[in-house]
Amino acid sequence: MKAKRILAALLGGIMMLSMAACSNDGKNEGSSAGSSQAGEETADSLTIWAWDDTFNVAAAKTAIKYYAEKEPDVKVNVVSMAQDDIIQKLNAALSTGTYDGLPNITLIEDYRIQNFLTSYPGEIKELTGSVDPSKFADYKLKFMTDVDKIYGVPFDSGVTALFYRTDILEEAGYQEDDMEDLTWEKYIEIGKAVKEKTGKAMLTLDPSDIGQIRIMMQSAGEWYVKEDGETVNIKDNQALKDAVAIYKEMVDSGISKQVADWDSFVGAFQKGEVATVPSGCWIASSIRAAEDQNGKWAVAPIPRLGNNEKSVNSSNLGGASWYVLENVKGADTAVKFLAETFASNDDLMNDLVSEISLVSTLKSAGELENYKKENEFFGGQKVFEDFADWTEQIPAVNYGLHTYAVEDIMTEAVQSIVKGADMEKTLQNAQSQAEAAVG
Amino acid sequence: MGKKRLARAFKYLWLTVVSFISVFPFFWMIIGSTNRSIDVTRGKLTPGNYFMENLNTLLASDQGFLRSLLNSAVIAVLTTILALLISSLAGYGFEIFRSKARDRLFSVLLLSMMVPFSALMIPLYRFFGSLGKTPLKIIGLNTLPSVIIPTLSTAFLIFFFRQNTKSFPKDILEAARMDGLGELAIFFQIYFPTMKATYAAAAIITFMNSWNNYLWPLIALQTPDKRTVPLVISALGTSYTPDYGLIMTAIVIATLPTALVFFVMQKHFVAGMLGSVK
Repeated sequence: MKAKRILAALLGGIMMLSMAACSNDGKNEGSSAGSSQAGEETADSLTIWAWDDTFNVAAAKTAIKYYAEKEPDVKVNVVSMAQDDIIQKLNAALSTGTYDGLPNITLIEDYRIQNFLTSYPGEIKELTGSVDPSKFADYKLKFMTDVDKIYGVPFDSGVTALFYRTDILEEAGYQEDDMEDLTWEKYIEIGKAVKEKTGKAMLTLDPSDIGQIRIMMQSAGEWYVKEDGETVNIKDNQALKDAVAIYKEMVDSGISKQVADWDSFVGAFQKGEVATVPSGCWIASSIRAAEDQNGKWAVAPIPRLGNNEKSVNSSNLGGASWYVLENVKGADTAVKFLAETFASNDDLMNDLVSEISLVSTLKSAGELENYKKENEFFGGQKVFEDFADWTEQIPAVNYGLHTYAVEDIMTEAVQSIVKGADMEKTLQNAQSQAEAAVG
Repeated sequence: MGKKRLARAFKYLWLTVVSFISVFPFFWMIIGSTNRSIDVTRGKLTPGNYFMENLNTLLASDQGFLRSLLNSAVIAVLTTILALLISSLAGYGFEIFRSKARDRLFSVLLLSMMVPFSALMIPLYRFFGSLGKTPLKIIGLNTLPSVIIPTLSTAFLIFFFRQNTKSFPKDILEAARMDGLGELAIFFQIYFPTMKATYAAAAIITFMNSWNNYLWPLIALQTPDKRTVPLVISALGTSYTPDYGLIMTAIVIATLPTALVFFVMQKHFVAGMLGSVK
């Protein structure tokens, strides 16, 4: 009797829910179409959303200072929020077509932007004509352009580099020359020597974050999805297979130290427990925070996949770009702001090198004065010039719609392969799981 | 005798280990707030003298930490008072007044506990968003009431009050009615003072939930001046190079109010969770 009653209530509840869902869908289309025509184009104040006070937010503030000299009448504010929070808020607002309180300009991570462009057509403003794509590194354009349309302003480079401790490698018998033009196979060999002679690990690996595999895969111009951004590309992805094999070798050969999260990843090199850090250039500021290691670090290009002909000594990890929201009042003013600052201003980029150690994706940046400075911490190396050079060599891939969804599945697959599961079979499984998840 | 002593020694050893595990995160948090970021990542376990510096950086940052403390306090206090009033009235009513539909209604109410908040989020957002174009703007998105209202009546609290009302002596009600006391007066003058322990337990739970609430304030509040503490802490946390000392300092300060509320009401809390009238 009781069970029957509960069942009835449950069914009733489900019915109500689904009815609510249907009516939501209907309204959604209507309201977003309506307001896209109503949005006003200019405004005397702008809002920017970005994350990271010491990096993106600081960059926006400097840009605002530059813009204030040109357009003192336009007031620009930057709001600092966590990246996940920005995603959450944008999703809630754009899916309901509620534009109150949304920013004019927002920073979105490169891995995610395709999802926004596809899920919310007409919400992100096309910047063709205001932003010249030819000024930027090719790899940054792949995911924000559609034929000859461009939707964003590329910002920071996530160019990868191999940061290494010269003192530890010397102890193991390697000079700086040995670190140039490496393959991952050779890297593992060096790692074994380092482990044997110094007892230190070559690098840290975090089983819950397979950024390392993304780095290797992109160095060969491949991604979790094919060129079209939608077709899952796992089981026949040779670069991915090579990358997973290297990853497994790094674990099996004992040259890696396992860490559990970002905190212990940063802690490991700050405590001097690892000989190298293969990561995005943005990790440089965390490395430099360990002042007692001054002069002991150097930077080399990231190793390439020795078995893969397409793989080069350059790749990318992370990075984000600026976008304008079409339906928030002041879209044109926002475009003007970006065009005057991040899309063109070399002086701004030069300042940002010293202020936040920005590696810009503007091609002209490599010529800037601050890029040519020798960096004392890295033994006098002109690291920014190197970063800028390598940025131009990053193979362009389309990150597509589902980077993080596929990555969740791949993280698990990689762990079982490391534990000894058959690679072909596991990747086959991962492929079908991913297809089901994103289909 | 020896056996008993050994058993006791093991018991204390076990309790020591368990309490160490539960207290360590707090210890680590407080130590972390007195150190520089690099010492935190290096795992330094001794207090440093950077607390004031961390505090100054926190107060000087544009995050508006003090403002967020005030917002959180207003939201948490108002939510607690209103939620307790509404839910206790409902729980009391469900138990005291009889009707045919009562249990059916109650099971539907309990079912609503199974709907995760993420499923309600978008409809709620749309609802409060639509108020923005009406005179009800003052409770629309980006206002403190928009955060308070959806959390005022929760199935859990109503259930909690109803359960505790079961042990409330009904004879008193009869006596009061005979003496001519109105139903509302009975509630406020007799029920409320008797159930203080239940209210205390409910107050702690509601205050903590409201103070730590993250998802709904995140999407409902837009401008920086309306933000609550968890939102500010979240903003401090994502960065290529997080300042762990600063984050720990913010968390220590954010933990104080809930700790305070808990310790003040601790005595009642235990009694309330066990059932108030013995």
